[in-house]
Amino acid sequence: MSAFSPAGLLALSGALLSIGLFGILTRRNFILLLISIEIAINAAVLNFVYFAAFAGATGGLTGQAIAVVVIGLAATEVAVGLAIVLALNRLRGSINVAEAATLKF
Amino acid sequence: MDPLAYAPEFVVLAAALLVFLADVLGVRRLEAFGGIATGASAVAFALVLADLGTPVLSGLSTLPAGVLDAPLGPGITSFTSLGLVFQAIFLLAAFFVSLASLSRPSAEAGSAVFFGLLLLATLGMLLVALSADLIFLLLAIELASISTYLMVGYSRKEARHLEAAMKFYIIGALSTALSFFGASLLFGAYGGTSFYGLGPAATPIGYPTLALVGYALLIAGLGFKVTAVPFHAWAVDVYDGAPTDVSAFLAGGTKKMGIFAFFLVFLAPLLILGHTPALGPRGFASALQLTLGIAAVLTMTVGNLLALLQKEMKRLLAYSSISQAGYMLIGVAVASGPAVAGATFQVLAHVFMKTGAFLVVAAVASLGVGPLIEDWRGLGPRRPYLSLSFALMLLSLAGVPLTIGFVSKFVLFSSAVQAKGPFVWLAVAGLLNSALSVFYYARILKTIYLDPPAPTDAPAAVPAPAAGIGWGRGAAILLITVGIVALGIYPGPVLSGIQAAASQFVFVGG
Repeated sequence: MSAFSPAGLLALSGALLSIGLFGILTRRNFILLLISIEIAINAAVLNFVYFAAFAGATGGLTGQAIAVVVIGLAATEVAVGLAIVLALNRLRGSINVAEAATLKF
Repeated sequence: MDPLAYAPEFVVLAAALLVFLADVLGVRRLEAFGGIATGASAVAFALVLADLGTPVLSGLSTLPAGVLDAPLGPGITSFTSLGLVFQAIFLLAAFFVSLASLSRPSAEAGSAVFFGLLLLATLGMLLVALSADLIFLLLAIELASISTYLMVGYSRKEARHLEAAMKFYIIGALSTALSFFGASLLFGAYGGTSFYGLGPAATPIGYPTLALVGYALLIAGLGFKVTAVPFHAWAVDVYDGAPTDVSAFLAGGTKKMGIFAFFLVFLAPLLILGHTPALGPRGFASALQLTLGIAAVLTMTVGNLLALLQKEMKRLLAYSSISQAGYMLIGVAVASGPAVAGATFQVLAHVFMKTGAFLVVAAVASLGVGPLIEDWRGLGPRRPYLSLSFALMLLSLAGVPLTIGFVSKFVLFSSAVQAKGPFVWLAVAGLLNSALSVFYYARILKTIYLDPPAPTDAPAAVPAPAAGIGWGRGAAILLITVGIVALGIYPGPVLSGIQAAASQFVFVGG
């Protein structure tokens, strides 16, 4: 195992997080928005897996276990998001987020 | 660990499963679901009070001796007095909301979903208060958050509610991604995620920047949950668009778990990193403290200024709720035992004031009054008891003496003045903001009591003569009003209990 040099990995996971956040803030199609959420959460999963390799025996197992749990969490989030958007689609016939703008900021 | 120690959590979980099971088996009575939810939160509340050592109830305690306030270890849960106090506060909010929701229309669809999710969200909040591990904490927050996204849209019939649910969901997912990314960086910096490993036993592996960025992302992620400025904009839309009973639970309940999460996540680095130079520069802790202090001042000021401009009752209450979160953040920034006690008492006060205020709004809406503040003209003479309760809640929010809001602000601001360190500016900002907030509360009181009622020739303005607010809602509002006045006049026992719990909190002073 090489020395602990997180710069390269952090560039990758930071880029994933940024892409995800950018998508969450700009996408108007709800399905693409869900994909952006997945990308952002998986940036954290990648970090956990990578850091696990350097965290010693128990810490390593912890990191991998956390990664699996977070993947499960991300799936739950998406299921809930789909439930909300399905209900909205029944009322509206559209999954465009921008059309859901009755509420003002 | 003895499973019986988790008795309150098991009660709430069992009640949630029972509600969903009854729904599957074809029970269609709102009273049944509401009764289960109200009863379970009352029982769990009694169990938590027993664990805290309340004399009358101490026979009920299921906590093994020596577990409470034990030194922090590497486990994922820990029982702290302050955590139990927060559990009691969460259960109080759940109790009030489920009691009031018994007065919802009995034939309403989806009531099982509403009460079941209310219980699941409460379970998540209870687990937050027991967390001793960052990942456990974030998962517990997720349990509560995901339940509340669905609660906002549970009716599935009104586009307005579903839009609010969607906004809430998108912002919540954003906050989840930020929090978990921050947690992964802390895991990288310290090789573990338990608060023990992040605090007393921290062994950084040489990348302090990782920890700094990790904490910054956690401020952002958790900031969304407590509606700290600049992460507050969603709250107004969601509280406004959600069914009002759900808004009461969001403002009075789930937002408070964010405050406790702030205590857990930030008090350890502030106090432990701050006082042990080997673990990092002192500047790191001061920078965190300064950031949190600025966030507190911004939150209260922006919340109050925008509240001044609002024309709708629910939006005004939402902004006032944001400003109240600013007062609570003072406790995190000052990070002393008395300040934590002050913030905790403020959280307790806020449960009474804000849950109560939203429940009154729900009751008034059920009388056929519109959403604008001016629709409430002349309500005082027509509905004297309801208006009196609402007036007391608003006076308490403004911090008028003899109400619980005065006591909480007094304790909080004086702790900021007394704390070692330059925190007087936080107290001054809090006092100025309290003065500012009096303007909009007084405007509502003037509208209710002094302005002439709306012209009665408009048929929509005449409420149905037989319409009442329902006994459940009435009872909840009555209990809250009594609590506001009773704890305002005689806060002694509760306040000293909270102060003792805060001074024993493992992350304070230790």
